[in-house]
Amino acid sequence: MDDKPGQTHFGYRSVDASEKASLVRGVFDSVANRYDLMNDLMSFGVHRLWKRLAIELAGIRPGQRVLDLASGTGDLADRFADLVGPEGYVVMSDINAAMLGVGRDRMIDRGHAGNIGYAQINAESLPVEDDTFDLVTIAFGLRNVTDKQKALEAMYRALKPGGRALVLEFSKPTNRPLERLYDVYSFHVLPRMGDLVANDAESYRYLAESIRMHPDQDTLKGMIEQAGFERCDVRNLTGGIVAIHRGFKF
Amino acid sequence: MTIRDLALEGIEQSINGLLALDPVALQRLARLHGRCVGLQLDGIGLTLYFVPGHDGRLQLLGSIEGEPDCTLSGSPLDLVRAGDEDHGHAQLFAGNVRIDGDTALAQRFSEALAGLDIDWEEQLSRLTGDIAAHEIGRGVRAAARQGERMRDVTAANLSEYLTEEARLLPHPFEVDQFLTDVDTLRDDVARLEARIALLEKAGPGDPQ
Repeated sequence: MDDKPGQTHFGYRSVDASEKASLVRGVFDSVANRYDLMNDLMSFGVHRLWKRLAIELAGIRPGQRVLDLASGTGDLADRFADLVGPEGYVVMSDINAAMLGVGRDRMIDRGHAGNIGYAQINAESLPVEDDTFDLVTIAFGLRNVTDKQKALEAMYRALKPGGRALVLEFSKPTNRPLERLYDVYSFHVLPRMGDLVANDAESYRYLAESIRMHPDQDTLKGMIEQAGFERCDVRNLTGGIVAIHRGFKF
Repeated sequence: MTIRDLALEGIEQSINGLLALDPVALQRLARLHGRCVGLQLDGIGLTLYFVPGHDGRLQLLGSIEGEPDCTLSGSPLDLVRAGDEDHGHAQLFAGNVRIDGDTALAQRFSEALAGLDIDWEEQLSRLTGDIAAHEIGRGVRAAARQGERMRDVTAANLSEYLTEEARLLPHPFEVDQFLTDVDTLRDDVARLEARIALLEKAGPGDPQ
């Protein structure tokens, strides 16, 4: 992860920092339509349980305001909108127009209205006032952000004092045998599955590589603390394949 | 991620699957959008939290921060019985089921679930078409009525045999008479007791 100045990583490749956003966009434009199906296949449906635990850690109360970054097809936003009640408000957002479109259509089809808004925004520079939200979440999205530290700082700024941020993201398996198995799975099985289902092996190869390049549990926790968050904790799920980081703003 | 989360996911999906078959119950629950109802299962020491969504589908949480808007607590069996339209109130008054917090919410929530009335015919008609579903529904209803009649007749015959023919059990009239006699006897004893107490108080030297 030691990038040259002005360089960042896109999977295992080193690219210009200015280029990464459009490369990531290419990946998600390509997978948007089959995104839900692929998530279920790739994680054997376990991603639902990861998200369920994230919801409990979010501790949402009726009437609260929630910003969900990198919402994708809106699995979290869907549940948040039900938990905040009619007086609360959820902003569903994504940097990618195709993903946000799929997500918004799904929310509308499910009958969400009135307490939900949609915004195409970049997590690094949130166009919101300071101290606005009770909860900011980013699930499986931070990995794709070019400047992660900047995004964490923006999340901190958008939170009200007393609010919290949740980062749900792939992480580093905590035991060796699982790590070996996971490597085989993600570098050999996953791209083939991507090829079969979404007709796009490259995008899923990027997925596996970007997970390896993502900071591990402790590094990310350090970054979150550096952004100003307090009382940070980490929870490993499924042997550390996924971790939920949580930090509070006081 | 644990077995607990897997179980919660399973229960949530089954409940919502059932609710999807009764649009009226969903509408009732949708009015409680965002409110949190705790269900405390005594004996197991487990509390589940239900939050109805905008469309009435329930979200099931294993833990929440702070307190739910209301909590229903009791043994699993008592809670199931409390949902019974005929005997629900009896459970509440007998103290088997307790309600803490917003009682109106607890009542609306349990009524919405207790009133769950699934229109099987409508569900079936999606597979078979209206006419076939209606005919099948009529057949099932007739069979159910026949079954009920059979059950009533059997119960009546059995009780008649036991009381009138085999004379193993007393007739209700005899039981009533017996109970009245017991009451009379009990009252007589009580009166006699009071009389003796009065005589003892008066003392032996003061005959009445």
